[in-house]
Amino acid sequence: MTGKTARLIFWLGTLSSAAIFLWQTYDFHKQTPKFTHTDKLTEQVVAGKKVWHKYNCNDCHTILGFGGYYAPDMTKAFYRLGENNIASIVQHPEVMYKNSFRKMPQLGVTETETKQLVSFLHWVGDIENRHWPPQDEKFVEAYRLRESQPQKLDKVHLVLQACGGCHTFENQGRNVGGDLTAIANRITYDRQTLINYMINPQSVRPGVAMPPQDVSPQTAGTIADFILSLKSTKEVSK
Amino acid sequence: MLIEYQSQRVSLWYFRLALVLFILQVILGLWLSINYAFTLPQELVNVFPFSTAREIHTNVLVAWMLLGFMGGTYYILPPECGRELYSPKIAYAQLVIFVAAAVTAVVGFLFGWTRGKPLLEIPFPLNSLIVVAALLFIANVAMTIIESKEKSALQWMLLGGVTFLAVMYLFGMPFYKNLNTDYYYWWWVIHLWVEGAWEVVTASIVAYIIMRVTGVDRKVVEKWLYVETGLFLFTGIVGTGHHYYWIGAPDYWIWWGGIFSALEPLPIVLMVVDTWMHVRERKNPIVNPLTWYYIVGLAIYHLVGAGLWGFMHTLPPINYYTHGSQVTVSHGHLAFFGAYALLNLTIFYFAMPRLKGINKYHDRLGKWGFWITTIGMFILGLVFGIAGILQTYLERFLDIGYSTAHLTMMFWFRVAFGVGLVFLAGVVITVYHLFTIKPSTLPVPEPVVAPAANI
Repeated sequence: MTGKTARLIFWLGTLSSAAIFLWQTYDFHKQTPKFTHTDKLTEQVVAGKKVWHKYNCNDCHTILGFGGYYAPDMTKAFYRLGENNIASIVQHPEVMYKNSFRKMPQLGVTETETKQLVSFLHWVGDIENRHWPPQDEKFVEAYRLRESQPQKLDKVHLVLQACGGCHTFENQGRNVGGDLTAIANRITYDRQTLINYMINPQSVRPGVAMPPQDVSPQTAGTIADFILSLKSTKEVSK
Repeated sequence: MLIEYQSQRVSLWYFRLALVLFILQVILGLWLSINYAFTLPQELVNVFPFSTAREIHTNVLVAWMLLGFMGGTYYILPPECGRELYSPKIAYAQLVIFVAAAVTAVVGFLFGWTRGKPLLEIPFPLNSLIVVAALLFIANVAMTIIESKEKSALQWMLLGGVTFLAVMYLFGMPFYKNLNTDYYYWWWVIHLWVEGAWEVVTASIVAYIIMRVTGVDRKVVEKWLYVETGLFLFTGIVGTGHHYYWIGAPDYWIWWGGIFSALEPLPIVLMVVDTWMHVRERKNPIVNPLTWYYIVGLAIYHLVGAGLWGFMHTLPPINYYTHGSQVTVSHGHLAFFGAYALLNLTIFYFAMPRLKGINKYHDRLGKWGFWITTIGMFILGLVFGIAGILQTYLERFLDIGYSTAHLTMMFWFRVAFGVGLVFLAGVVITVYHLFTIKPSTLPVPEPVVAPAANI
């Protein structure tokens, strides 16, 4: 090979690749509004992104798979956790992860900032990114299903969505507040007390870590029936 | 005196600071592995969270890499141009600005002063200082080359590489409202650095060192340099697409990104072949075997860590499961160490003895350092790899939850901490050896081709 051929390879390789890449960049910008729903990219979402940066969330958590690999991916966090859970975790990590092997720092995020962060995560969750991460796709599908046909939902689905952010049931959900079957067998509340407990835990058991839940009394009733039905027959017969 | 030009001396302070930062980086890395391996008390996590430690770990990495590249450039430029540096004063001023910005940044991180953008956390005012330092550096390099009587392909390649590096940094500085656009340009910095600009700088510096040590003809070396950098950029630029599979971008990225990134090991294979051939066809005897360990080690490790690991990890069907997991951590460590830490150490072992007027150095301790760090990091990469495959399988494939996956991984991070301690020992040995390098008492083989004949 002559020096001239070598130079030619250098320039051809570099320039052709750069040309393709620049065209792709142009096309990326043209298509981004469609893939990321920029019409929903409100001031609130941008404020949420600034909160995300301010507390350096991204050096523990990944988002779109990038960042620290220490804490769970946040791409579909809105669908996985829901607004209530995100707020509880962000504002009271020391309570939510009291029994966890992994801690999250108490960052002093304000209530306004939390709301902005939730809007940001909601918008991120809607980015059309080829259903990544794989493990969270079921939450997105479940959320959409609940929205489109609430009457057809099976109870387990409903309860896991409402309570699965903190409680487990048959090994599903996050184990922060205990397993629902174990709780069902432990508690002595009647149906109405249980409903009151869900809507305002402090009114039934002052000092308890569980945050108030944003559910209608009807839904709370369905959940209470479900939990009470988990009491093992032995307990009931006593 | 082994250096030909007095202004080459400026590089010594770059090397010394880089080595100190290297140790700091590894200590922070050990702290990160403790975060994974054990449950830490909430009070400690509140004041010194993982995120802060990680931003120091990664920024210090970038800082010592850049210090090594800049010092290396200042070291090889005068003999390559046949003249003194344009201005040693600028070189020192630039070093002071760069280090001041870096130290302020690290202290700022401890107090939560951060942009919160992974790897590019340095706040805007400090970023401006970094830009000033980079401009001074490029101006100094460019003026030295322009005012030299001898022109070579290597000079221009080096200038092109460092300019490319600096320009790409600018894309990481603005605030982007859209997260997906943010990460699109984030990779212009990260990817086009490590699989573009940094490769060009590496190829140029390695070409220079090989030429000087082996006495192989300049024409041959420069031909390889053109072909290698051409292939690096051809595969590397469009290969950026392997980061765009899951960010919300058109489907064609899967194909363009997948295919070009699968070709990325090619230039590294060429680099291994070319290093190997030049060692075989060398005209000069090997004076310092350890410098050669590093040159050959760099080529092979580069191929394994960046090439092989990267190849597997970026195939789209695999990446769907491994993206953003500990597999990425494994690849990151092997690639950064194999390609760039070893490049910097090659530069240090080439330049630092010469700066002290030592031709053949005593290398027993340095060999220990070499084997402990290279083997230590390889095992560390495997341990992260095991943790990553476990995580991928449990969390993404079987879908039994993040906590289960991370609990299972805790054991492997205890192993990683142990291996990390050994690695730290190797790094300390290497740094100590470089700082206290002494002449060997063994006879020095006579060179066949005088270095000056090759300029």
